[in-house]
Amino acid sequence: MAVHQDTEFQHLNFLLKASGKDVVQHACEHAFLYHNVLSFPIEVIGKTADGLGINVRDAEKLLETLRKVIKHALYIGCTDATSVHAVFPAGFHKNLKELLSRIIGDKLDKWRQVAIENKVSQPKLVDFDWRVDIKTSSDTLARMSVPTCILQLQIEETASRSHLMPGMSTLNVELSKEKLDTMLDGLGKIRDQLNSVAARK
Amino acid sequence: MASTFHFSTETPPDSMFSDIQSLNKFNEEQFSKLVAVVISFLLEPNKSSKLLGQLDEFADEQGVSGPALRNVVKSLLAVPYSAVRKNLSPSDLKEDFVNLGLSEEKAGYVSNEWKCNLVGLSRSAVGQTLTVNQLVDMEWKFGVTAASSELQQVGSTFIQMKLVVNKGNKTENVYMELSVPEFYSFLHEMEKAKASLEYFS
Repeated sequence: MAVHQDTEFQHLNFLLKASGKDVVQHACEHAFLYHNVLSFPIEVIGKTADGLGINVRDAEKLLETLRKVIKHALYIGCTDATSVHAVFPAGFHKNLKELLSRIIGDKLDKWRQVAIENKVSQPKLVDFDWRVDIKTSSDTLARMSVPTCILQLQIEETASRSHLMPGMSTLNVELSKEKLDTMLDGLGKIRDQLNSVAARK
Repeated sequence: MASTFHFSTETPPDSMFSDIQSLNKFNEEQFSKLVAVVISFLLEPNKSSKLLGQLDEFADEQGVSGPALRNVVKSLLAVPYSAVRKNLSPSDLKEDFVNLGLSEEKAGYVSNEWKCNLVGLSRSAVGQTLTVNQLVDMEWKFGVTAASSELQQVGSTFIQMKLVVNKGNKTENVYMELSVPEFYSFLHEMEKAKASLEYFS
């Protein structure tokens, strides 16, 4: 996280040219929406520039600063408008500080959730389906009636390229009744552990 | 030999008749020992090296030729193997052995042994039934994310699971991560699948 220089905060003063609150709000939302990409899309920069009546380069600097401010507020764990105040330097435009703090403060809960969901992780389980079959005949037994469970797991792989969606892999597993029992036994242990952690809180 | 057999729709090859008939030369003790070896192999069909070892030992002890004994045992295995498959009654099996030329007494002994181990034999046949992508093992851990590059303090719980799947030619490890609500819904669905399996078995 870069240290915020006062000069950098100057870029935020472009927001004073905004015709209304919603222009500032849109700028903030865009700044967070693209908080993980290297550079803002040209369309977004253009739209912000048009809304504020400034040139494209200034709009990019503005969004860049806004992004840093938001990420910093999120990182230090601000929860409401007053706590966001601390992010801005002492001599910052008072009304603009109030407005930005309120907008960012309102959104922080949602953004925090987004950040948790998108944190770095192992491949994630996205979806799963199951079905139960009855095996009625096989090469070892002419007549049988053995239920079996087929489990399909959809797993989101970790993204390998910054501009591509992460790939999905599908895994099918066949479980006999005994295997499923063993698996549920393991899952039950996790649940018990989770419950005991929850009880201790 | 025009009689029909229960274990096979076609008349077995002549070699099978001679193999089975040669069993009559064994005395009672030798025969019961051989049958025990065969039944234990049928109960654990993946232990073929154990069978071969036991046969060599038997051949050495009794002073019979190893390769000849193996052929005899091959024929002796074929009958109960398909008897399990076709779910024959012990009396059907005895009749087949008598028709193949085994003495009444020895055929009675085999069918009696077979009857005693019927449950185990069918279970091992069920166990051998083809399963696609069998689940071999599951490991898990869970923990709490304390901090990340985006949030200084997080405190979100995660569960990581590793599944070992037998893909036929290789075993594959699959890793995935679940959040707590995802874990509970996964557990819930697996319990539904288990209930369904129990209903059918």
